[in-house]
This record gives sequence, structure tokens and C-alpha cells, in this order.
Amino acid sequence: MKASRGSLKVKGVAKSFALPQGDLRVLERIDLEVGPGEFVALVGKSGCGKSTLLRLIGGLEAATEGEILLREKRITGPGLERGMVFQEPRLFPWMTTRENIAFGLRDSTEKREAGETVEKYLALVGLAGFGDAYPHQLSGGMQQRAALARALVSRPEVLLLDEPFGALDALTRIQMQLEIQRIWRESRGTVLLVTHDIDEAVFLGDRVAVMSEGPGTLRKIIPVPLSRPRDRSSASFVKIRKKIYNEFFNSSRKIKGV
Amino acid sequence: MPSPGNNRRFPFFNRLVLPLIVPALILLVWQVLSDRGFLRPSILPSPLAVTRTFQGMAASGDLFSQLKVSLIRVFEGFGIGAALGTLLGLAMGLSPRLDRALTLMTGLLRPIPTIAWIPVLILWMGIDEGSKVTVIAVGAFWPVLLSALQGVRGTDPKYLEVARILEKGRWEALIRVVLPSALPSLFTGLRVGLGIAWASVVGAELIAASSGIGYMIMYAREVSQPDVMLVGIVSIGLTGLLMDFLVVQLERRLLKWNQAGKESQA
Repeated sequence: MKASRGSLKVKGVAKSFALPQGDLRVLERIDLEVGPGEFVALVGKSGCGKSTLLRLIGGLEAATEGEILLREKRITGPGLERGMVFQEPRLFPWMTTRENIAFGLRDSTEKREAGETVEKYLALVGLAGFGDAYPHQLSGGMQQRAALARALVSRPEVLLLDEPFGALDALTRIQMQLEIQRIWRESRGTVLLVTHDIDEAVFLGDRVAVMSEGPGTLRKIIPVPLSRPRDRSSASFVKIRKKIYNEFFNSSRKIKGV
Repeated sequence: MPSPGNNRRFPFFNRLVLPLIVPALILLVWQVLSDRGFLRPSILPSPLAVTRTFQGMAASGDLFSQLKVSLIRVFEGFGIGAALGTLLGLAMGLSPRLDRALTLMTGLLRPIPTIAWIPVLILWMGIDEGSKVTVIAVGAFWPVLLSALQGVRGTDPKYLEVARILEKGRWEALIRVVLPSALPSLFTGLRVGLGIAWASVVGAELIAASSGIGYMIMYAREVSQPDVMLVGIVSIGLTGLLMDFLVVQLERRLLKWNQAGKESQA
């Protein structure tokens, strides 16, 4: 089988952290396949290990058990083929927006090409004209756009988004969701989005992976067979959202024995 | 009353007039007490008398030639001390092993006041320039060392994680992430170090020297010229103020990106 660009496989992954009082298991038996160009949203409560899973795929942490394959090749560390955006923009305050984005380029990139690429990505995220601004001169949403451009500028196969809109106000968040959808459709890369916002997950994902905690496992994967752009108030949208909602709240009611 | 609105409403008053009120009042009281004969001129000459001496010494070039001698010593000593402090501080910040190897040594030497070194250095190096420059270097060394060390250690690991994801090597991460993030802290150390260097030169000259602003003050005491002594004292203050001002200006230019934080702190 041909290993296609952006195909991601998580096989039997588990992760424990060593603590003074013993090992803490945060992820257990995670199996997930993400096809090339697919948008998968991971939802779960805080502490369910969804961010840890993303960090494992990003290569920032090593799995205790199992393996993660990108294009059938095992991941052993971070790499430019996997772009990453965090909840906080993490822009370097001593660099301008343009310099921050250029920092995401491969070191071997030729100077003229680098300049053109950075301008292109500045425009792509809607920051044309803000290249010379320092991060502290940008709004939170603009900072996050710059962080996105930095992650995209080396054309990664997979984009890993760790609650990237979590710290933004509600209106900016919706705006950013539309933007990320537009950018994803233009670049056709694979996207893995970690979020605790069910609405966001259903709006963006081709599939929504629901995680439960203690230790984190993949409880269910729910497909979202809706055409885009999606209408958040349509009956089919609301139905899927409710289904995911019930994954979290009905099951806990059962445990309480109601 | 301190309220955020005040600064905006009276920028001229707050920035230029307000700081002058206290010194002006002190000078006024001092002058009045001198005029009424409460202060003996042989002990404390009046501000006007000191000003006249200052003008005379400035016009003859006496004052500036003494200041120049002291300033050259400061620049030499500060240059050496700050350079060594920066290098060692960065090295200790980057290598926990080096830090551990030196921590007892630095902990032992750091609390020693700079002036305590003066007699020892005179014994080792004589009363030439060497001992004075070394005293200044020692004085500047410690704050710069500590601030460089703190600056490197304070680098946000989240930034380093970004460098890892973007496949930057150790060297590039050091130059483009660790050093810039350490710079504001380092600048604070340089500023403190320069102040200590200036104080040290005067101390060294008071004890053993045949030139310089500290020597000028000592000599004036021996020949009973209190006005010259006060000119010396005031000149030390003014020069220190000017040097600090220049460092702050340099910092503003070099660390433009850091100004947002500075303004909200102030």
C-alpha cells in the first residue's frame, strides 16, 4: 500500500508519567487512524489526556507503549512535517510577526524564497500589513493567526491544534473557526484539533473522537456527515451535537444510579 | 495622589517639574541657613558658593580632567567585569553542572564588599591603575553574573518547545531564543553593575590615588576646601545619574519589544 502524505496511525498507544508516588497512567490503548486531508476533532474533559495524545503525535513526549506512524514511518521526535499550535500563541516577543513566521521555515530555505513564502502566509492568515508589528502590538486573535502561519509556513503534512481558540472571546473564536476551515480547505492537509468545545468539534471535524478520562481512552468516534459550510442551528447539526453531549452527561448520570 | 490619570493630564509637570521640587526646597533651606549664619562656611559652604567654585573649576577644565581619569578607569574595569560576568553567567545558566561546580565559590565570594578588596589588591598589584581597575571589575562582575544567570534560567520552556518542534538546533535555539529572552534581565544587571563600578572607583581613589574625582575630594579635605569637596560630591552624583540615563536609553533602543511590559509596570 502506498503511504500517502498526511496519513496518521496511532497504534495501541499508552502513556504513563513517573511521579514520586508511582506511575500515573494518562492514556490507555489508543487506536486512531486519520486519513490524508482529514479533519479530526478530539473532545474530552480537561485532564482526559487529549493534549498528551497530541503532544505524543507532535513528538514532544514519547509513548510508553505502542507506536505512532506518519506515512507508515514511526515518529520518534518533533519534526517540521507536523505543525503545532497551542492555546497560547507562543510568539517570540523579540521578533516581529514576519520574523516569527520565518522562524517556522526550514533553515535550508533560500532567502528570496523564504521572503515570498512568509508574505504569502501573512496574507493567508489575514495579517498582510502587520509583518513589522511586534506580538504585544497584536490582539489575541491576531497573535493566534501569526502562530498558525508559523506552523503552516513549512507546509506540514499534519497540523496539530491544541485548543488553539480556547483563550479567545466567543466572537473571535467563531471567526477563527471559519478561518481555520478556509485554510484547511485550501491546503488540504490533515488536521487534528483538540478541544473541549463540542460545538467547535462538530462544526469543524469530519469525525469527532470522544475521549473519557482516568486513564484517557477513546470512547467513541462519531462521524459528521454534513456538507460544509455547516449551519450550527440545522437539525442534523444539533442532533450530532446532542449525541456527543450525551456521551459525556448521560453516562455519568447512569453511574450515579439515577 | 497617585492615580493613573495624573500622568496623562500633566505630563510636563509630572516628568520634569515634580522631581525638581524636593532638591529645590533643600537648596533653598540650605542657602537661607547659610545666609543667616547658622552654617559655618568652613564646614558647609552655601549652595551659591559651591556653584561659583563649580563654575570656576568647570571653566578651568580642572573638574573634567579629574572626571575623565575616573571615567576611563570605570570603563576599563566595567568592560572587563561585565564581559566576564556575562560570559560566566550565560555558561552557568546553560550548564547545570558548571553552575553546581561554582555555586559554593560564588556564594562565598559574592557577599564580600567591593571595598574590602582594595587593601588586598593594593598589596598584590600596587597602587597603580591595575588595582583600581580590578576593584571596579569585581564590583561590576557580580550583578552582571547573577542577572545573566537568572536571565538564561528564566527562559520560558514553552519557547524552547517551539524551537524543538520547528527543528532548530541547540545553537540556533541559544542565539535566537535563550539569549534574547535573557536580555532584559541582563540589562538590569548591567545597569546595577555600572552604578557599583562608579561607586567603586571613587572608593578606590579615596584610599589610594594621585588623580581622579575621589582623589580630588580627599585632597580638598587636606587643604581645607569644603567647596571643592562638595563640587566633587555633586559631580559624582550627576555623572552617575547621566550614566544611568544613557544605559536606560540604550536599553529602550535595543529592547523595543520589551517596552509594553515596562510601561505597564511603571
